Amino acid sequence: MLACLVMLLSCETEFIPLNINTDPEIVVEGYIEQGEGAIPPYLLLTNSKPFFTTLSPNQLDSLFIHNADVVITDGVNSVKLNEICFNDLPPATKKLLAENLGINPDSVKVNICAYIDLLGAIKPAENHSYSLKINVNGKTVEAVTTIPPYVPLDSLWWREAPGKPSDTLLQLYSKIKDPNDQVNFYRFFCGINNGPLRTPFNSVFDDVLINGKDFEFRLIKPREPGEEFDQKTFGLFHTGDSISIKWACIDESHFNFWNTLEFNKSNQGPFSTYTTINSNIKGGLGIWGGYSSRIYKLKVKR
Amino acid sequence: MNRIFWIFIFYIFLLPQISAQLFTISGYLKDSENGETLIGANVYVKNNVDKNTASNNYGFYSISLPPGEYILVYTYLGFKDEERLITLSSDQKINVNLKSGVLLKEIVIEENTSLDQVENTSLGRIDLSTETIKKMPALLGEVDVLKALQLLPGVSAADEGSAGFYVRGGGADQNLLLLDEAPVYNSGHMLGFFSIFNSDAIKNTTLIKGNMPANYAGRISSVIDIQMKEGNDKHFAAEGGIGLIASRLTLQGPIEKDKTSFIISGRRTYLLDLAQPFIKKTDFAGTNYYFYDLNAKLNHQFSDRDRLYVSGYFGRDILNYNSSERGFNLNMPYGNTTLTLRWNHVINSKLFMNSTALYNGYNFKLSGDQDLFSFRLNNGVRDYQGKVDFDYYPRPGRTIRFGASIIHHRFTPNIVQGKSGEVSFTNDYKPKYGVESGIYYQDEIKLSSKFTLNLGLRLSRFDQVGPYQSDQQEYKSFERIKTFVAPEPRLFGTFLLNPSTSLKAGFSMNEQYAHLVSNSASTLPTDVWVASSSQVSPQRGLQWSMGWFKSLQEGTYNISIEGFYKILKNQIDYKESYTSNQSIEIEKAFVFGKGAAYGSELFFQKSKGRMTGWVGYTYTRSWREFSEIENGRRFPASFEKPHDLEIVWNDEVSKKWTIGAIFVYSTGRPFTPLRSVYYIDQDLITRYAPRNSARYQDYHRLDLSANYTPHPNSLRKFKSSWSFAIYNVYNRKNPFFINYDLDSDLATGKAKATAYKVSLFPVIPSITWNFKWN
Repeated sequence: MLACLVMLLSCETEFIPLNINTDPEIVVEGYIEQGEGAIPPYLLLTNSKPFFTTLSPNQLDSLFIHNADVVITDGVNSVKLNEICFNDLPPATKKLLAENLGINPDSVKVNICAYIDLLGAIKPAENHSYSLKINVNGKTVEAVTTIPPYVPLDSLWWREAPGKPSDTLLQLYSKIKDPNDQVNFYRFFCGINNGPLRTPFNSVFDDVLINGKDFEFRLIKPREPGEEFDQKTFGLFHTGDSISIKWACIDESHFNFWNTLEFNKSNQGPFSTYTTINSNIKGGLGIWGGYSSRIYKLKVKR
Repeated sequence: MNRIFWIFIFYIFLLPQISAQLFTISGYLKDSENGETLIGANVYVKNNVDKNTASNNYGFYSISLPPGEYILVYTYLGFKDEERLITLSSDQKINVNLKSGVLLKEIVIEENTSLDQVENTSLGRIDLSTETIKKMPALLGEVDVLKALQLLPGVSAADEGSAGFYVRGGGADQNLLLLDEAPVYNSGHMLGFFSIFNSDAIKNTTLIKGNMPANYAGRISSVIDIQMKEGNDKHFAAEGGIGLIASRLTLQGPIEKDKTSFIISGRRTYLLDLAQPFIKKTDFAGTNYYFYDLNAKLNHQFSDRDRLYVSGYFGRDILNYNSSERGFNLNMPYGNTTLTLRWNHVINSKLFMNSTALYNGYNFKLSGDQDLFSFRLNNGVRDYQGKVDFDYYPRPGRTIRFGASIIHHRFTPNIVQGKSGEVSFTNDYKPKYGVESGIYYQDEIKLSSKFTLNLGLRLSRFDQVGPYQSDQQEYKSFERIKTFVAPEPRLFGTFLLNPSTSLKAGFSMNEQYAHLVSNSASTLPTDVWVASSSQVSPQRGLQWSMGWFKSLQEGTYNISIEGFYKILKNQIDYKESYTSNQSIEIEKAFVFGKGAAYGSELFFQKSKGRMTGWVGYTYTRSWREFSEIENGRRFPASFEKPHDLEIVWNDEVSKKWTIGAIFVYSTGRPFTPLRSVYYIDQDLITRYAPRNSARYQDYHRLDLSANYTPHPNSLRKFKSSWSFAIYNVYNRKNPFFINYDLDSDLATGKAKATAYKVSLFPVIPSITWNFKWN
């Protein structure tokens, strides 16, 4: 009834509060991953922008922070990451990077720049911690992450769509055998027909409620960019598609980042208030996250 | 210890007797038409108003005077004065039935006569009659007690259209809501847009926003004491109404005339019921939402000394959402239940006892299923309470109240149970238990014709008890885990500058052992109450207040200016990075800090005559500070509205027509704006500015109402009337919340961040048909 009332009675007008002066903050999005097909450790380094903003491709280019001194350490070895920009890459590398960034390489209009361990000097491994240190324009940013041991998906299977029968839609179920010796944190990605890997609106969960159990659960198909919510197809896979499931284990601070970020994004409206995104970056925003992951490829079929 | 005990007994019982011989006149004051007891009616000696008393919450009065001849005057606003010539040579019982007044038809606020308003020691206490509330404009025609309270100075509304409210800068959980003495933990229907209080079943509403007397306990900001009607003990009557979204019906009457009566009152919404024929044809067949209330009361007078009441409330909001397309079902029932068993006993003409046994519960349930997955979540509160209160009237100008209470609480956290395929899971949380007890003593003494003092002390105690399993130990039922004890002193005084002007001042300290933390601007049915425990210290409120009170033309006009300063200790909020993760105990998501509020209130009221109404203005500041939120930066409370103005006007144009208007203006409330955006995972992520560092636009609104009674002089048993109302007459687009639209595609080089102000209620006309059958 409330929803009806709100829809029937409410109206929207653009709102511009007093300008909030804010200096840009350094934003880190960096990952170090252990698993088949994982790309070497890399990170994106950008600036935040004031909220009320419309950005052109050129302005988006200017978000990227260049010439930073980025070093990662595994406790023994240190490596300085090289800055490479999208426009400078050979097509094959472009495609690989685009896939990991979740974008279509053919439609990229912004010169995305990343810092990467090109030579693979650091060998990511489970149960190891990795420190990140960035020096840029006199500022220092630091973070630490851990790659937890991998907990595999035990199985994946298709099941008829719930509710009304459908010839073309299926739901994907999976099972894990959650170890009971420690707290585990999981994240899930999905790519359709060799497209980029994307995450659903709620991509992380912990095992507090299912610790030590053989647990069956449904994997939700992420929405494509710009795709409107449709109850009839939400979370369901189309028969005939090829999909890639990336199943990853993450550490607690990495989980807290995505958990608070996803809660923050979904928790807007009259009956909510803000949640600060829990970052493990000291001196900036964002995430330095470790993954242990595997990719499972399968066809959507009965 | 023995010595202290005997001094105490001497002070209470013997000292008042050591004076000239007095005889006592006592009894009940009632409405002659329906037998309802009258609360707060005045009794005084004609030509000697210093010798006065008032009826208590149960309509009982007692006044002791030396032997002699007196004319006792019984007055109650809206009723004709009654005079009784009394020759006093022994104790006398005089029950008085007052008749509804002819000249004083329209009573807006019953702050009683000038005598009461100016002389009593109550600070920030207002009684609001249901008849008054019914004549005000109401959103969608639904008359609402709590929304009427929001029109009083010192009380601010939670949000557009909401029945939630904040008093003098205190939090939403700091208001003690009592329905026939039973605490109500969630007062809202439909996410708080309507209160649970059906106006047809309510006799009187008392708001105490200042220094609360010692008989009230458990909250630190205010008391809203709502008394249900007792039921007409003269004749059978029915009344009801048909409105846009709900209808209501009340039946009442005597079972045995003048001795036993009952009242039963129900209300139910039906907007989506009417739409069911259309919904049935869609994939959402079975989807519905409605709420209902049921109030019932039975009372029996065993003798002049004994009266028994049984009353109860049962209300639920029910949401069912079904989607056959994808086999998804959601069910969300929630609501309150209260049960009050009350025994009034007149021990002697000077000593009145009220014993009460109470049950109250609030339950929230949410369950859903789709295919192999199902879940169930529930939380709630359940109290069993016993209390006894005594009113002792040793002599004119002195009233002593004392008593004790004990409550057994059960606080159920969010317990989640689910099933995915063959595997069940649960967070395995268990309810927590507590025993809250207290004894109190309060003494109002008229020290001279000009100075009255009210001293009170409450000693409260809270024990967190088992069953409970901590990390180290298992506690059995009623085994103590953690104990809090606190004295709660109260001190008020009134100094009469002249017969129509007084100065009042007061101090009170209160403890609160049950807490509700909401992460939204107003409370929601999903919010969880938690008890004080080893993890959560009791909230403490200290309030200083003073005021100047003036009455003109025998109470026709009342003017008051009050100021207050409030210190709030052990305040609770969620951590900055709170998420509603059901796998973490809610107490672990809390942070603790402090707060304060101060302000002043101006009140100008006309309470008699054809035109009545008031102007109320409040200036309030309220802040909070938590060491774990923004490194201890002090920020304004999310409900702080520094300037708050209300104008209420009512005019009885003719016997057929009554018109009314409400205008409200307030500073926009604070909110936390967005400061910047940044990219993560190809998506724009928002970063917030400091908490509550921006404000919405100012809020203002005008509502109009008209009540039409086609045949006011009809002698027929059946009478009907129409209520017309227009909410938000000039269609002000007041902000309800800010919606953010982040449109971005990094790869294609597009990004735009925009904010939209969402306004909820435009101009809304409504019409309600009311009827009465006597």
